[in-house]
Amino acid sequence: MSDRDQALLDEAVKDIARLKKQRSSQLYLVWLRFKKNRLALVGFIMVCIVLFVAAFAPLLTPYDPYETDPFNRLKAPSRDHWLGTDELGRDVLTRLLYGTRIALLIGVLIVLFEGTIGISLGIFSGFFGGVIDSIVMRLVDVLRSFPVIILAMAIAGIMGQGIMNVIIAMGIVGWTTYARMVRSKILSIKESDYVEAARSIGESKASIILRYILPNTLPTAIVMVCIMMPTALIASSTLSFLGVGVQPPTADWGSMISAGRDYLLDAPWISTSAGLAIMFTVLGFNFIGDGLRDALDPTIKRA
Amino acid sequence: MAGRKRSFWIRRIVRTLVTAFGVSLVAFLILHLTPGDPAKIMLGPYASEAAYEAIRERYHLNEPLPLQYLYWISGVFRGDLGDSIRYNRPVLELIKDRIGPTLALMGSALFISITLGIFLGIVAAIKRNTPIDYFATFQAVFWLSIPPFWLGILFLYIFGLQLRWVPIGGMVGFTSLIFPALTIGLRDEAWFARPMRAEMLEVLNQDYIKAVKAKGLKYSSVIVKHALRNALIPMITMIALRLPWVIGGSVVVEVVFSWGGLGSFLVSSVLARDYPVVQAILLLIAMLVVVANLVADLLYSVIDPRIRKES
Repeated sequence: MSDRDQALLDEAVKDIARLKKQRSSQLYLVWLRFKKNRLALVGFIMVCIVLFVAAFAPLLTPYDPYETDPFNRLKAPSRDHWLGTDELGRDVLTRLLYGTRIALLIGVLIVLFEGTIGISLGIFSGFFGGVIDSIVMRLVDVLRSFPVIILAMAIAGIMGQGIMNVIIAMGIVGWTTYARMVRSKILSIKESDYVEAARSIGESKASIILRYILPNTLPTAIVMVCIMMPTALIASSTLSFLGVGVQPPTADWGSMISAGRDYLLDAPWISTSAGLAIMFTVLGFNFIGDGLRDALDPTIKRA
Repeated sequence: MAGRKRSFWIRRIVRTLVTAFGVSLVAFLILHLTPGDPAKIMLGPYASEAAYEAIRERYHLNEPLPLQYLYWISGVFRGDLGDSIRYNRPVLELIKDRIGPTLALMGSALFISITLGIFLGIVAAIKRNTPIDYFATFQAVFWLSIPPFWLGILFLYIFGLQLRWVPIGGMVGFTSLIFPALTIGLRDEAWFARPMRAEMLEVLNQDYIKAVKAKGLKYSSVIVKHALRNALIPMITMIALRLPWVIGGSVVVEVVFSWGGLGSFLVSSVLARDYPVVQAILLLIAMLVVVANLVADLLYSVIDPRIRKES
């Protein structure tokens, strides 16, 4: 190898290193932008608290969320039971803490399920256009004509109660938002110069999708997932409240609100505390979602 | 120009018809979503064989699916939405009894959310990057983070049980309408405040606003006469797009306040597996949304001719 070749090789290695550095500094830029948004940081901390509680629920409380105590029914908040007890004498705080697990599990699964359907249909629809696009978009039109919660309730009601059916029902109904957002993002990427350039040097369709379109839809997908998490949390608790979702005795916030409703006068702490738990979690995700949207992809309008 | 306008309208109406067809398919297929005998799903496992046979006969359940759909949809066009299994009465009659309260509730909720949302959006845009703007943004996220049914329960607890200002649920006079309407309206206001702020900011940046400002027009008339008018146009579409969410929220809130409307009727029908009722209400709600979207689009194209050129 001549000196000149060696020099060229060194140059190339340096270039690659610089490119790698640039990529990581772009992530750093996103983090800087995210950090600047104080509410987003607050949301981040709130969600971290929720995650912590979900992970360590059994260590945070001496009680069992399912153990009933007939002699201590509907007891007001006290030193032993910080948030009182419910109609079966179970510790409300304990049920709230364990409830974070159910809420996050259902929320994440709903978002994953509807996100997978919506994002892949959006990519197909946006990239191939034509008949596929028309069919998907008409399907979106049809599903968006139904209020999400109503159609999900009807579907979950028919399939029978239970966590799995809530997730399936929400997935069938909720994917349209993802599909629309991802599709419009892809349409704009398709028009961009770098895709035009790739096409003109004869790159295959598959390679264009994998190398240019998918990586550039990623920020949109991430933001969508964060923005849709609150919707999933509220929808699933609403389904539990209406009686088609998670069933008692599962420690679920929605069903706690529903059960506490019958004892509102004697034991208002059951419904109120469970509602506050939902609000805290949803608020946290909403703050993060807004912050991420501004940091990653400001072109997305709020769903 | 006239040709282009006509073709826009025709395309839009064809699209609406396709959507309406799809909507009716979804409402019809709801019952056939789970494997198993629809007659058993509707009547439960313990009815007599004669009752099952009667149900199959009434809804043509022995025919192939496409034929069943044709029977069902032609019934819909004749005003026959089937009979409620619970009440053994025509679904249409039951819906007629309950549509009034629902329209009253949704109308007041929409009024609250639209006026409040537009007002807050305008104020936030004019006072951009001031505490007022931050407050308007924050309160929108705040309301959107509250489960609507819980907000309703809180209102019931505070104003019904503790202060005794309003009846605890049910429909007794005007006072019982206030809090259900507020519960829906406060949340849905957040849907409108943000886009209104964005529209207003965009319009305020336009050259013609600068021109009228330079002309020395009073600030308030710049806002009201020139900016607001143009910023309000896109809100027509926004409201139509948000209609399903408003309806969805009102269904849940009806349950909380024991409001005797279509929403609580739908929920109790789902729980009782009264499918003719569920199908009919789903169809009704979705058709309302489809028509509202069509009207909004056509209205928009009449008011703002630019939209026709673009599409």
